[in-house]
Amino acid sequence: MIDLAENRIVMPGELLSEKPERISYAFVDKGKTYSTVVGLFSEGKLVPLEGPYEPLPDDLIVGIISEVKFSGYSVEINAPYVSFLSSREIRERYEMGDAVFARVDRVDEVKNIDIADAKKLPVGRLVKVSSVKIPRIIGKKNSMIDMLKSATACDIYAGRNGYVWIAGKGNQTLAEKAIRMIETQAHTHGLTDRVAVYLKSQQ
Amino acid sequence: MESINEIKRDVLSAVLAAGKRIDSRGMYDYRKIVVQPGILQNAEGSAMASIGKSQVMVGVKFDIAKPFLDRPKEGVLSTSADLLPLASHLFETGPPSEDAIELARVVDRGIRSSNTIDLESFYLEEEKVLALYVDIYVLDHDGNLIDCSSLAAMSALLSSRMPKIENGSIVRGEYSGKLPLKEHVVTCTFGKIGERMFLDPSLDEEKGMDCRLTLATTSTHLCAAQKGGWGTYSERDITELLDISTEKGKELRAML
Amino acid sequence: MGATGKEKPKLYESGRRVDGRGLADLRGIKIESRVLNDADGSAYIEWGKNKILAGVYGPSECIPRHDQSLYRSVIKCRYNMAPFSGMEEHGRSGPSRRSKELSKVIKEAFESVIISENFPKTQIEIFVEVLQSDGGTRCAAVTAAAVALADAGIPMKDLISAVAVCKIDGHMAVDPGKEEDNFGESDMPIAFSPRTGEILLFQMDGLLSREELSEGISLARQASEKIRKIQVEAIAKVYQEPKEERFLVIK
Repeated sequence: MIDLAENRIVMPGELLSEKPERISYAFVDKGKTYSTVVGLFSEGKLVPLEGPYEPLPDDLIVGIISEVKFSGYSVEINAPYVSFLSSREIRERYEMGDAVFARVDRVDEVKNIDIADAKKLPVGRLVKVSSVKIPRIIGKKNSMIDMLKSATACDIYAGRNGYVWIAGKGNQTLAEKAIRMIETQAHTHGLTDRVAVYLKSQQ
Repeated sequence: MESINEIKRDVLSAVLAAGKRIDSRGMYDYRKIVVQPGILQNAEGSAMASIGKSQVMVGVKFDIAKPFLDRPKEGVLSTSADLLPLASHLFETGPPSEDAIELARVVDRGIRSSNTIDLESFYLEEEKVLALYVDIYVLDHDGNLIDCSSLAAMSALLSSRMPKIENGSIVRGEYSGKLPLKEHVVTCTFGKIGERMFLDPSLDEEKGMDCRLTLATTSTHLCAAQKGGWGTYSERDITELLDISTEKGKELRAML
Repeated sequence: MGATGKEKPKLYESGRRVDGRGLADLRGIKIESRVLNDADGSAYIEWGKNKILAGVYGPSECIPRHDQSLYRSVIKCRYNMAPFSGMEEHGRSGPSRRSKELSKVIKEAFESVIISENFPKTQIEIFVEVLQSDGGTRCAAVTAAAVALADAGIPMKDLISAVAVCKIDGHMAVDPGKEEDNFGESDMPIAFSPRTGEILLFQMDGLLSREELSEGISLARQASEKIRKIQVEAIAKVYQEPKEERFLVIK
């Protein structure tokens, strides 16, 4: 896990390499490589600390049905672009406001986004976080999200797009608070332990 | 986005039916309140108030103005509200929305009808009075802007200095004491969903609730009220909420 | 320059400016990043007696649709002064000609650093609210907006800042205060890209010789390096001292 304890924060325009290199969230100018974002830089890898969700094929996301159309559904996915779910792809029927867990299928150059493999989520609450924090909410080999689920007895779906869906009869308020805590401290060292202590103290 | 509002109402109803709130507050608890008076130097009065994640700034300015024709011996009190586009993705640039106008008018009514400001003392000479501008600047919107704005407005008035007047005009940067105020007006806003009523609705709760009732009180009286939304209240609801407002008003006044 | 009916004071005397500064000294600058909850990025700056708030939204769907570009995100800016921001009378509501012009030049400064090609069909909105004005609001606005954009994670080629230079009693000086603004012989706000040294915003009025122009630009360039340090500290502080509550605290 890249965290603040061992890595430096870089700023937009900060030099990352004297050579031209292909690094995500960086750009090359006159043969040198610079950061475009506020991020943590370590061993040639730049992790942005903030930023909008940019959909990529095979991302697993949480979306909200925003329009029922003749041939399918418009789905709001916390991106600047609304995605489309074709009804050919699905057996279920959805209504406006239904939440789905789905996979990004295709993104074209003008950002038309198709999603597929949708599954309707049970009644619950939506927590919006910055999409760059989702890997930390899931944790290494699902360690963080599994801990959240068992401590709160909720069903939790963390979409790569920054939408986290909390359902089930458990303590949803606690789950939401813990997710906010992870979001705020995502870049810090020893977070899993602190979250464990917090969850225990609230039970 | 409307589709998201639908989810909120489902979840809200379920949680409130069980006698709880989505952020685990009590039914008649405020979120955390912070009041910062006297934060600006150019304005004659100023304050910031926050309730939860809602943040409102109020600036008070004095000018010389002509009195209204029907009140030639009284000064002018003018309250306006800006729902700044940086405060919420729900706000847009452009002329004041109906929500902004309602917000300004509700805050104005509380201040005006409590007679906390003696507008007759603003008379200077024939055709010349002091005008007092109260500008509500909403910086961050997470629900219950009315209570947050009222607190900021009252705190800004309490921090206000009277301008120094010489030869019928204001000497900027010089003052002649504090603005005298008779009452500390505060408002309490209650949401309602189904039969459940609760204090200080957050934005999530506002999106799902049927209606709201705002009661402005002095330490002794009700001085303004406003119902909003499509739902209804019974007479008993209103008297019950006035009792709660009177109690909660003490807590709010203690922060001013 | 500005006429307020008052006599022009001596602006530069025995090595000191009216407020006691030297020619290359900035006023005090404090920046706090992430002070708002709903905005995607935000920053608050106190620069002298200026108090300015910047908020950023986006990239989001570009509305109205006819403003959209298929190739890039459209950048929008609104610079606005609060009606209570000045020392003088209560301000009028609605944008003035001045604030429309400033909105335009601020937007154009950012157009060359924001990597807008990543987000076709969208808009990025920059909102600046001047809560208290003390001369040099546009430069403080650019400086705060750059921090707010970085806070929002909008990809940029640089973290830019701006500062003005003026001519007072024949001397070039950096960062004019209110009185120097009103009575100085010349005013020249400049925004730089510190990475490349390029100038992104440039305005000027008054009379300057060619030498004075060069001296002014170099004074501004040195000052902008100091400003960048303050910006970087403000951005880093968000992560060094993470807080769940975001509050605008004004001292």
